[in-house]
Amino acid sequence: MPLVGAFVNGVFGKRLGKDAVRLMALSALGTSFLAAVVAFLALHHQAHALHDPATHKVTSVAKLSWEAWRWATVSLREGVGSTTINVSFAIDPLNSVMMLVVTGVGFLIHLYASSYMDGDPGYYRFFSYLNLFVFSMLVLILGDSMPLLFVGWEGVGLCSYLLIGFWFTEEKNAEAGKKAFIANRVGDFGLLCGMAMLLYYTGALDFAGIHAGAQGLLTKVQIWPLGSGLPSFLSFLQPAKPVEVYAATLCGLALFLGCAGKSAQLPLYVWLPDAMAGPTPVSALIHAATMVTAGLYLVCRLAGVFVLSPAVMTTIATTGALTALLAASIGLVQHDIKKVLAYSTVSQLGYMFIGVGVGAFSDGFFHVFTHAFFKACLFLGAGSVIHAMHATIHDSDASQDMRNMGGLRKYMPFTHASYLLSCLAIAGVPLTAGFFSKDEILAKAFESTITPAHPLMWTPPAYWGKVLFAIGIIGATMTAFYMFRTYFLTFWGEFKGWRIVERHGHDDHGHDDHGHDHDALEPGTGREHLEGPAPHESPWQMTLPLMVLGSMAILAGYLNAKILGETLHAHGLMWLEHWLEPVFEHASRAVVVPAFNTSHAWTLAAPGMAAAAIGIGFAYYAYVLHGGAPTRDLAEKVPQLHKLLLDKWRVDELYEATAVGAVDELATTAVIADKWLVDGVVAKLTSALVKGLGFVLRLAQTGRVQVYAAATMVGLVAIGWFVWAPHPDAVVIGDPGTGAYKVQAAGGVGYKFKWDADGDGKPDTREWLESDTVEVKLEPGKAQNVTLYVVNSFRRTAKKTFQVARPKKDGQASSLDELNKQLEQLQQLIKD
Amino acid sequence: MPSSLFDLWPVLGVGAIGALIPTKQDWKLRAGLGLSAALLVLFALKTWDVPVVPEDGPKEWPNLLSALIAIPLLGAGFLLFLPRQSPELLKRFTLGVLALDLLLSLSLLSVPMTKGWHFQSIKEWVPSLGIRYHVAVDGISVWLVLLTTFITPIAVFASFGSIKTRIKELCFSYLLMQGAMLCSFVALDLFLFYVAFELMLVPMYVMIGIWGGAEKIKASLKFFLYTMFGSVLLLASMLYLVWEYTRITGAPSFDLLALSRVMLPQKVQTVCFLAFALAFFIKVPMFPVHTWLPDAHVQAPTGGSVILAAIMLKVGTYGYLRFGMGLFPWAAGTMSANLAGVAVLGGILYGALCAWKQDDVKKLVAYSSVAHLGYVMLGLFSATPSAISGSILQMVNHGISTGALFLLVGVIYDRRHTRQVDEFGGLAKVMPVYAVLWLIVTFASIGVPGTNGFVGEFLVIMGTYVSPRLGRFAGIDAVLAAFGVILGAVYMLSVTQKMMFGPLSNPKNKRLADVNTRESVALAPLIVLIFVIGFFPSLFTDRMKDAVAAFDVRYRDSFELAKAHGNNPAELVTIDDASFLKGAPPLGKAAVEAARQAAAEGSK
Repeated sequence: MPLVGAFVNGVFGKRLGKDAVRLMALSALGTSFLAAVVAFLALHHQAHALHDPATHKVTSVAKLSWEAWRWATVSLREGVGSTTINVSFAIDPLNSVMMLVVTGVGFLIHLYASSYMDGDPGYYRFFSYLNLFVFSMLVLILGDSMPLLFVGWEGVGLCSYLLIGFWFTEEKNAEAGKKAFIANRVGDFGLLCGMAMLLYYTGALDFAGIHAGAQGLLTKVQIWPLGSGLPSFLSFLQPAKPVEVYAATLCGLALFLGCAGKSAQLPLYVWLPDAMAGPTPVSALIHAATMVTAGLYLVCRLAGVFVLSPAVMTTIATTGALTALLAASIGLVQHDIKKVLAYSTVSQLGYMFIGVGVGAFSDGFFHVFTHAFFKACLFLGAGSVIHAMHATIHDSDASQDMRNMGGLRKYMPFTHASYLLSCLAIAGVPLTAGFFSKDEILAKAFESTITPAHPLMWTPPAYWGKVLFAIGIIGATMTAFYMFRTYFLTFWGEFKGWRIVERHGHDDHGHDDHGHDHDALEPGTGREHLEGPAPHESPWQMTLPLMVLGSMAILAGYLNAKILGETLHAHGLMWLEHWLEPVFEHASRAVVVPAFNTSHAWTLAAPGMAAAAIGIGFAYYAYVLHGGAPTRDLAEKVPQLHKLLLDKWRVDELYEATAVGAVDELATTAVIADKWLVDGVVAKLTSALVKGLGFVLRLAQTGRVQVYAAATMVGLVAIGWFVWAPHPDAVVIGDPGTGAYKVQAAGGVGYKFKWDADGDGKPDTREWLESDTVEVKLEPGKAQNVTLYVVNSFRRTAKKTFQVARPKKDGQASSLDELNKQLEQLQQLIKD
Repeated sequence: MPSSLFDLWPVLGVGAIGALIPTKQDWKLRAGLGLSAALLVLFALKTWDVPVVPEDGPKEWPNLLSALIAIPLLGAGFLLFLPRQSPELLKRFTLGVLALDLLLSLSLLSVPMTKGWHFQSIKEWVPSLGIRYHVAVDGISVWLVLLTTFITPIAVFASFGSIKTRIKELCFSYLLMQGAMLCSFVALDLFLFYVAFELMLVPMYVMIGIWGGAEKIKASLKFFLYTMFGSVLLLASMLYLVWEYTRITGAPSFDLLALSRVMLPQKVQTVCFLAFALAFFIKVPMFPVHTWLPDAHVQAPTGGSVILAAIMLKVGTYGYLRFGMGLFPWAAGTMSANLAGVAVLGGILYGALCAWKQDDVKKLVAYSSVAHLGYVMLGLFSATPSAISGSILQMVNHGISTGALFLLVGVIYDRRHTRQVDEFGGLAKVMPVYAVLWLIVTFASIGVPGTNGFVGEFLVIMGTYVSPRLGRFAGIDAVLAAFGVILGAVYMLSVTQKMMFGPLSNPKNKRLADVNTRESVALAPLIVLIFVIGFFPSLFTDRMKDAVAAFDVRYRDSFELAKAHGNNPAELVTIDDASFLKGAPPLGKAAVEAARQAAAEGSK
C-alpha cells in the first residue's frame, strides 16, 4: 500500500493537488496500519493456539508467512549445491511488534507532516519519499531472508538520503544526505561480507536456515597471513603461528558493522546528527523511531548467530556503552534543539546495544519499542516548537536555536505537556516507559553473563558487566540533564524570540568563542528587537499525534514493566517478554541470568533513579533557579573541554584527516598512476619503442644504391663464410635394449664423412665416404667415443667427437641405483 | 497467446499508466512511454513461466539466428541505394530494420533454454580448411543477443537527436556493427567469431573518427590499435590450436566444439590461454590495458558510447567465458586466483578510485565501467554457478545502466556542449525529470537493492566467497569486492551532488530544457528494465541456469582431465556431454568426407 502511495504521489502528485496527495498518503499508511493490526491479531490467535496451558510454555514460534516469488539461486560452499532465495515475508512475534510500531508511529507522523509541510512546494515529493520509506522499512522488517532484509535495509538508506537532502538547493543538506548514505554504505559493506560468511558456513540465507546451520560457524578461520603465505621480504610480518579466529566472531563483527552503520553507533554514528538537515517529521520517523532501530532489529533477528561468540557480544555491549557516553556528552552543550535530540538518539541506541550485547534481547528490543514513542514525541514536539518559531523567525537555523526560545509553556500547552511526558520517560523517572526499559537493560548488564558456544573461546572478564553498568549510569545522569536543559530552555522562562541571536553575529563567534553568552538570558549587544506574531499552538493534525505519543511514552512501559510485574506477581505486566520468549528461546540458552530477587532488583534500579533525579535537579538548579549561570561558569572553568564538546569531540575532523583523506590521496595517486604509469608504459612506451625501431630502420633506408650494395656484399660474405667452413654435427639414435646405436651426421653441400667408430683415435677408413651413418654395438654399461670427420667441397676438414653410452642391462637395478644417487644428491643439497 | 483481451489487463493497465505519466500534452511521448511500459510488462508476463519442453522435442527454426545476423547486414547493403538527401527516410529505415531484428530476437525466448545448443545452424564455408558457418545460442549467449537487439535501437534512436551530419554513413555503421556484434555472440566457429570480432571494430572506428569530439582521431586510433594487438595474438593462438587438431585427427576444423576436445600439454595450454585472455582482457577492458576505454568514450558520440559500453565490451567478457575458459580450462583454472586479484584490485577498486577523481562526466562513467566489469570478470574467475550467472546478469545490467548513464550525459552535452562537472550544479531545479532519471540510474549503477545492479553484484560476491577456484583468497576477494560497493556510492553520489543538487550557481544553466520526447522515449525502457531485473531476476537466471550448470560441470571435468594429462603431448579427450557436442564435426579425414557427402546427398 505505501508503495502504491509512493508511486502515485511521486509520479502524479504534481497534478493531483495537495488534498489528494494528503489523502493518498494518509490512507496508504492508515490501511497498512489496519492490515498490521489484523495480521497481529491473527498471529496472536495462532500463538495462543500454540500455547500449552499445562506448562505455560510456547512450544514453537508462531509465524505467518507469504512467499511471493523466487528471487535468485546462489551456490553454496565450494560451488557445490545451491540454495534458493525467495521473496517471502513472514511475521513472528518479534517483527509483528516492530510492524505495529512502524505503521502506527508512521501514521501519526504522516498526519503530523500533512500539516507541518503545508506550504512546501515539494509537498507531493515529500509524501512520495515518506511512503516509499515506510514500504522499505516494512520490507526490512517482514522480509524472511537476509537478502530481502538487505533490500529494505538499503531502501530505507536510500529514502533517508532523499529526505535528508529534501531541500537540495542548499549544499549543506545535499552533503548531509551523501554523508548519511556513504556511512550507511560502510555498514552495508559489513553486512554483505557477513551475508557471504553466513552463506558459506551455515549454507542458508533465510533466517530459519541460518539458525538451523549456525553450528557451522564454530570453525576456525585463518585471518593472517592471507592466502598461502607471504613473500620472503615480508617475512617479518609472518607470525610463528597463523592467526585464527572463529567464523562466528568474524561473521558477527561483520554483521555488527552493518548494524552500527544503520543504528549510528561508534564509529559510524557521525551521519545521524547531520541528518537533522531534513524536515523534522523525517527526523522523527526515520532518524529516531524506525530506521535507526533496524540495526537492533537485525541483532535480535540473528540473536542465535551473535550469541555464539562472546567476543562479538562484548564488542556490541562495549560499543553501545561508549556511544551512549560519548553522544550524551556532546548533547550536553549543543544549542540546536534538533542536534540535542539527535545525540540523545545516538545515546539511547547505545543503551539498546548494551541490552542486546549482554544477551537481554527482549529488554533491548523493549527499549526500541518505548524509545520509538518518546523520541518521536520529542522530535515532533521540537518540530512543533520550530514551526511556531518559524512564524516569528524566518531562518531555519535560528528557529532551531534554543537560545531563542523560552516561555513557550504559555503559548503551546499541548506541545509542552507531551514534551514534558517524553522528557520524563527518556530521563528514566520511575514508572515511565523509559524507566522500565532502560533500568532493565542496566540491571541485565550488571548480572548476566554469556556462556561461550565453544570452551576455547575468549570471554570477557567478570567485572565487565559492572563497568558497563557504571557507564550506563553516568550516561543516564547526562541524559536527564540535557533533556531537561532543552525542556527548561524551551518552555520555561521568558520568550526570547523577540530579540534573536543575530545570524551573522552568531557566525562571527560561532563555535570559536568560549560560550560566554551561549546560555545567556539577558540581551547582549548585536541583537535587535524583532517584531512579529507571538508563537502559537500548532493545528490539531500536529497536536493529536503529540498527545498520543506522549501518553504512550508513559503507558508503553507497562507492556513490560518487569520489575513491577515480578514484585507484584502480575504476569500481565510482562506481556512483551512472554510474547517474545519463543523467538529468543534458542539464543537465550547461552545467557545466564540469576533468578529474580525483588530487593536485589530494586537495589540495582536505585542508581538509575538517582541518576534521573540528579540530572533533572541540576538542570532545574542551573536553568530555572540561576538562569544558566552555573553552567556558564563551569564552561569558563574548562574552556578547552567545553569547546571540544561543542565541536563534537572533533570526530568529523578526525575522519576527514584519516580515513577520508587516505582514500582521497589513494584516488589521486591512482589517477596519476593511470595517466603516467599505466598509460605511459602500456601505450606511450610501446609506441615509443615502435617509433625508435622505425627510426633505426629508417636510417638504413637512405635510397642510396651504394649503401644497399654494400649491405648486400656484407650479407653475401657472411653466407660465404658459413659455406666455406665445414660443420660436423650428428645425433645419436639407439636402442638401449639391443645395444645397437647409430650415429647420424648432418649433411651439407658436397659433404663427405670419415668415422672413427672403434675409438682408437684414427679414422676407420682412409677414403672419404658418402655414408653419413655409422653403427656401433655396445655392451650394457659400456660407453664409447665416436669421432666424425667432415670434408666439404672446398677440401676443408673438421672433426667432432660424440660419446655413445649404453645403460646397464638390468634396467630395474640401474634405475634404482640412479634413484639412490638422486636421493643422495638431494640430501647433499639439503645439507648445503 | 493470451486467450482473451481480459488476460492482457496488466499490460493494458501498465501501458495506460505509462501514457498518463507525462505532464505535457504530447501524444508522441505518451504513446512512446505507454508502449514501452506495456511491452516490457508483456515481456515479463510471457517470460514468467519457463516454457515446457513439448513431447516431440522443441520446435526451433534453424535459420532464426542467420536471419538475425542477416537482417541488419542486408539492411546496410540496401541502405546504400537510398538517397542521401532524404535523411528522414534513412532514419526510419534503419530503425525499422533494428525493430524487426528486436522483434525477431524475442522469439528466441519461446523455447526452453535447456542445456545444449538451440537454433543451431551449420553450413560449410571453406571445407578445405574446416571452416564452417556454425551459429547457435545457449542460455548464456541468448541474453547477450537480446541485449544487443534491445540496446542498439535505443542508441540509434537517441543519436538521431544529436547527430545531424552524414546520416547515411551513420546508419550504415550502426547496421554493420549490429550484424557483426550479433554474429560474434552466436558464432561457434572460431574463424567466424574472429571475423565478427574484427568486423565490428571498423564501424566503431569510423564512428569515433567522424562524429567524435576534439581528439577523435587519436582516440579512434588508440581504440583500434589496442584491440587489434589483442586480436592478432588471438589469431596466432587459434591457428596453433587448429594445427594441433589437424595433426591429431587428420582433418582441420575451426569449430569450437571440435577444438574443445583437444587437450594440450599444460605449458602450451598456458601460453595459448594467455594469448586468448589478453585479447579479451583488452576488449573488456581489464587493468592495465584499460586506458583506451576512457579516451574512446570521451571522444565517441553518445550513441557510439552506448553501444561501445553496453555491447562491445561484452564481447570481451563473453569471449573469455566461451573461448578462454572453454578451450583452456586448465590454464584458466590455475591462473584464476591471480587474475581475480587483478580484477579486484585493478578493476573494482582502482577503477572506482580513478572514477572518483574525474572531472569529465563521461570519463567518470568510463572508469565506472572498468569497475563494473571488474565484478563481471571476478565472477568468471570464481567460476561457481552463481558467480557465472551473476556475471552474465551483470553484463546485461551494465549494458542497461551504463547505457542509460551515457544517454543521460548525452542529454546535457547536447544542451551545454561540455561535460565538465564544475560547469553544472543545481540541475534538479531546472530539470526535475532529468534529475529523477539520473538518480534512478545512479542507484542502479551503485547497486541499490531493488535495481538490477544489486542482483549482479550480490550473486558475484556470494559466488566468489564460496569459490574453490580462488583458494584461500576467495574470502579476501569477496570482501574487497564488497568494499568496492562503498567506493561506487562515493563516486556516483559525489558527482550527483555536484551536478544535480546545491544552488544553481552557473547562469548558463538557468534556462536548460528538461528531457524532450525523444530522450524520454529512449530512456523509458531502460528505466523500466532496471526495476524488472531488480525485482524479478529469476526471469533471467532461470533461463541461463541449465547452460551455466552444464558449463560448470564441463569446466570442472576438463580441469581434472588436464590435471591428469600433465605435460604430455596433445591428444583428444572425450567430453561427457552429448548436448554440447551436438553439431561438432566428425573426427578424422574420412569421416569428415563421408559426412560432407551425406549432407550433399541429403540436400539433393
